[in-house]
Amino acid sequence: MTRPDRTTQHVLLLLLGVVVLLVAGTDRYLDYVQAGFRPLLLGAGVVVAGLGLAGLLRRRVGVHEHPGPAVGWLLAAPVAVLLVVAPPALGSWSAGRQVTAPPALPAAPSAAGIGPDDEGADHRTMTLFAYHVWSKAPDPSALEGRRIRLVGFVSPRAAGGWYVTRFDINCCAADATAIRVAVPDGAAEFAPDEWVEVIGTSAPSRTDPAVGYPEPTIDAVSVRAVPAPAETYE
Amino acid sequence: MTELRLPAGERAGRAVVRSTDLLAGLVALLVVLHFATPGLFDAPVVLAWSTVFVAVCLQALPFLVLGVALSAAISTLVPASFFARALPRRPALAVPVAGVAGVVLPGCECASVPVAGSLVRRGVTPAAALAFLLAAPAINPVVLVATAVAFPGQPEMVAARFAASLGVALVMGWLWTLAGRAEWFRLARPVPSAPGAGRAAVFRDTMQHDLVHAGGFLVVGGAAAATLGVLVPRSWLEQVAASPVLAVLVLAGLAVVLAICSEADAFVAASLTSFSLTARLVFLVVGPAVDVKLIALQAGTFGRGFALRFAPATLLVAVGVAVLVGEVLL
Repeated sequence: MTRPDRTTQHVLLLLLGVVVLLVAGTDRYLDYVQAGFRPLLLGAGVVVAGLGLAGLLRRRVGVHEHPGPAVGWLLAAPVAVLLVVAPPALGSWSAGRQVTAPPALPAAPSAAGIGPDDEGADHRTMTLFAYHVWSKAPDPSALEGRRIRLVGFVSPRAAGGWYVTRFDINCCAADATAIRVAVPDGAAEFAPDEWVEVIGTSAPSRTDPAVGYPEPTIDAVSVRAVPAPAETYE
Repeated sequence: MTELRLPAGERAGRAVVRSTDLLAGLVALLVVLHFATPGLFDAPVVLAWSTVFVAVCLQALPFLVLGVALSAAISTLVPASFFARALPRRPALAVPVAGVAGVVLPGCECASVPVAGSLVRRGVTPAAALAFLLAAPAINPVVLVATAVAFPGQPEMVAARFAASLGVALVMGWLWTLAGRAEWFRLARPVPSAPGAGRAAVFRDTMQHDLVHAGGFLVVGGAAAATLGVLVPRSWLEQVAASPVLAVLVLAGLAVVLAICSEADAFVAASLTSFSLTARLVFLVVGPAVDVKLIALQAGTFGRGFALRFAPATLLVAVGVAVLVGEVLL
């Protein structure tokens, strides 16, 4: 394997830095890391691209060249993946791989109740994560008699209907945990990965033999397709 | 019979493609793939792998840049003779001082190997240099902050990493004073820097070299993490993770094979959500102390005889100390 010489290393750094800036400059970075990371990414992109550019502009003549490490070629890999594959945020395929165990959640909700209805509406918008926590709380009465609005993408359910789904991330998409709420009577017109708004009433968690653990469930009153949010992770 | 013999460089030059040509071809290929083949990579498994791969790389890059910049600053601005004067003469005392000095000297493990090599050359007792070698990449502020970011709400993980890695450095340093032999070392000569190069140029060159080197290994780590997360059936991982002994052994082996930079490894560890915290601590303690990349670097800097003895001993000590600390703190 030809080892990258000095010029090649500079071009590789410049490419990487520019691509990082392109991704962090738009909402695309939200598909991979948390929103708070934007300044760090922008800073890193500027430094990496700047190093490459400075090296290219200042070619030193007469200095003995040491070729760089062969592993340096791999800097082209993230550039290639971002430009050619341009992967979107994780979706129903990844969620479907996580069905073997329920996500680990805090034992009890920290707040006293789920809060008042949304302004001017007769429902309360909750994150899927909060819905999970409340439906598994020792006293789930806070959900009783309330209309709940959940937003997520559709992922297939073996036991009928589908799940409204979001990923919860700690720091980046590599640690994503799928949070699912079963919509047992979900209509088949909604395809996997389609973003939906589900308004309905809380139903008791059920254990389906195909799943093996109790699943938070919502009885949908209305379901409609919505555009995907910029930040798809919770 | 006379044979026309070319100098080695010229002979090699004929057989080898110039890297800039290779780069131009690569860029052309990217452009073609980008514009000519939309939808070619739309299989869900490819998309999911790519998302996780990019996520690990992006998440770790700022920390890698920070660490490389700081280590370049130190190697440019602080003369190695300073460390020789600052350390106590008795090896048994120099070991803890050098180990703790690792806290204030940020750098990833690729940077600390040459620094440790230059310490030994300048007369620092090898035991202390080795304690520094093991401590610096594992417990410096950049790595601890990265660990805190990767494990939000779990400060005990940061404390456990600090305690276990410092413990490994001290144990290995003292072990060397008891059983180490000077003849195991065969120190390589340093690469002479360009004459007349200013400090700014040396700083930039060092940083660029370290970034290309460590960045390449980060990509290897990101690809491995994505492969583990996306291609390996989740039920396998969960079966391995369910057995405490197996989980520790597998993650220790993974740390050795993946060779992720210490500034980035916390994010990979955080992604291994089905494993216990103790097993993930083993991953974080073993990784900066012994991995395939470090073994290669150590063999290059200190000689093969040293690396073949030091790496297995460090692996055993690292797993033992990490499990012990994990039992107490996590």
